[in-house]
Amino acid sequence: MLNWEKLQQLNFTDANARERAFGLVDKGSFTEFVSPRDKMSSPHLPVLGEAIEFDDGIVTGLGLLGSRPVFVISQEGKFIGGAIGEVGGAKMVKTIKLALQTYERVKKITPASYEKRLPAVIISFETGGVRLHEANAGLLAHAEVMDQIQDARGKIPIIAVIGSKVGCFGGMGFVAAATDIIVMSENGRLGLTGPEVIEQEMGKDEFDAANKALVFRTTGGKHKYIMQDCNFLVEDSVRAFRTQLKEIMNIPFPEIEKYRRIGSLQLVEEQLELVKSAVTIGPKDAQDMWKYYGNDNPQALADISPKEFLATVKRRERVI
Amino acid sequence: MEETMIGRGREAIEMIFDVDSVRENTIGAYQVEGEIGPGAVVGTARIEGQEVTFIANDAQAINPRFNVVYFGVIGLEEAYKMALTVYYTIEVDKDKPLEKKRPLVLIVDTPGNGPGKVEEIIGMNKATGSYQLALAEARKAGHPIIAMVIGRAISGAFLCHGLQADHILSLDKDFGTMIHVMPITSIARITKLDIERLEKLSEDNPVFAAGVDFFYRLGGVEEIVDKVENMKAAIKKHIAEVCQLKKNGRFDKLGPWGRGLLGEERGGRTSRKKVIQLMDTQYEAVIDKYISGMEH
Repeated sequence: MLNWEKLQQLNFTDANARERAFGLVDKGSFTEFVSPRDKMSSPHLPVLGEAIEFDDGIVTGLGLLGSRPVFVISQEGKFIGGAIGEVGGAKMVKTIKLALQTYERVKKITPASYEKRLPAVIISFETGGVRLHEANAGLLAHAEVMDQIQDARGKIPIIAVIGSKVGCFGGMGFVAAATDIIVMSENGRLGLTGPEVIEQEMGKDEFDAANKALVFRTTGGKHKYIMQDCNFLVEDSVRAFRTQLKEIMNIPFPEIEKYRRIGSLQLVEEQLELVKSAVTIGPKDAQDMWKYYGNDNPQALADISPKEFLATVKRRERVI
Repeated sequence: MEETMIGRGREAIEMIFDVDSVRENTIGAYQVEGEIGPGAVVGTARIEGQEVTFIANDAQAINPRFNVVYFGVIGLEEAYKMALTVYYTIEVDKDKPLEKKRPLVLIVDTPGNGPGKVEEIIGMNKATGSYQLALAEARKAGHPIIAMVIGRAISGAFLCHGLQADHILSLDKDFGTMIHVMPITSIARITKLDIERLEKLSEDNPVFAAGVDFFYRLGGVEEIVDKVENMKAAIKKHIAEVCQLKKNGRFDKLGPWGRGLLGEERGGRTSRKKVIQLMDTQYEAVIDKYISGMEH
């Protein structure tokens, strides 16, 4: 693998799961748990004659961001589209559990100043959700991850990082939505039903999955930023994501809840208002929403660099 | 074969709850807007005298504002309506002790979450995620949550409406109940795997195979109910069991994590445990390095 300095310069889009895991935390601080050396691969793939990976397509471990222990989950899109099976699912679930265990430990050791050492969880998503080859196990694992995310509420922050090739879809789309803070690049894509599935279910007239521009303006980082469905939009480099994560570590923990989009009665009421406004607006395209929020020339916004975009864009106003 | 309950969510409500006890859209002092989310039926009812919140799919309803909603699909409005219902339930009982928290009964018959362009523009992932977080919060606050699968419990829609419950019950496969992620033909097309090989695998591999019996072996279904007349008693029994476990602080035996343990017992997911144990060991070996010497 590249040395840490080189990792910082990588495009985030192209970085593999392990490069992201090592590169997002402080230099030399990452310890991988259940690494390829442990050969914990899926027992369900060989029976189908499919290739395995010794990490089952998910890198998990522990690093540091300054004084904060940071638990990392990083998904590899090149292995079966980053889909979640039994082993990879268990790695995700247990990582969050260990972060919560660490929270209790830190609080016990340093009750007065534990917030300085408060653990965090970072999930670098690159996945389409459930791995069909072991569908039932993948499905149950998704429910376990959601359960752990709720357990972490009010204790430790869980941060989603989305900027890899495959995007974040299927069940993992709502797992990402359920985290506290979402960081995306404009190459990041987030949704529930992937473009191909919408086309197949609803027809090409509803959604042409081959239309890249359409796919990006419906699910990409810029749209999610305008809708307040991601909190931060960054340049497409490991360094930029890492810099943002370090800044997030400076947010006082009681403030973290304010970054959420779902997870309370008030937030659900706010989202329901958004659904009602969608009924009124009747968007035929994501850019109809961009216009509605005051961006008179949405196409120009789609074309400019993230830096220029951030300087000029108007976003949905949050009620809460 | 028994007569299927697919598409008959409202009838199931009548079968399960006490006569004349159903108050649609009412949760304590809260009122859910009747207009929104017609694909979801919510409200308060009694089961052998005990007041519960119910959440069901209405497969006969269409949503005039969102055309993806029909035959039990959970759309944007439906998912938020379901989430609101859960939060209202938490609110009305928030000052009550654990054993007095009212149960939630989920009646499950849904083929999926709304797949559409508007859904993605607005963020269907948030809608289904919010309902799951609400259920998880209610479960952890002490409300017993029982899911009763009467028809279809498919993939993301089952995650949304069912898999955050404490205990999941299902009508027997003779009722045509369907629990799966995707039909084998679709799996074959997407994975490009040989369909005969997949069919062979689906004969006996609970991790892959569709159906109630395999989910039972996996710990995904707590108990299979053999007759519609027995749904009421089964739900009542599981409410009592869950309530007792919560009183004893055994939350770990319930919900998604509890289903992991049940799956181990029944020989379903066996790699899960190995991964968890190995991570524990490796974590213990290094954690002090990350948190010790912290105060200088």
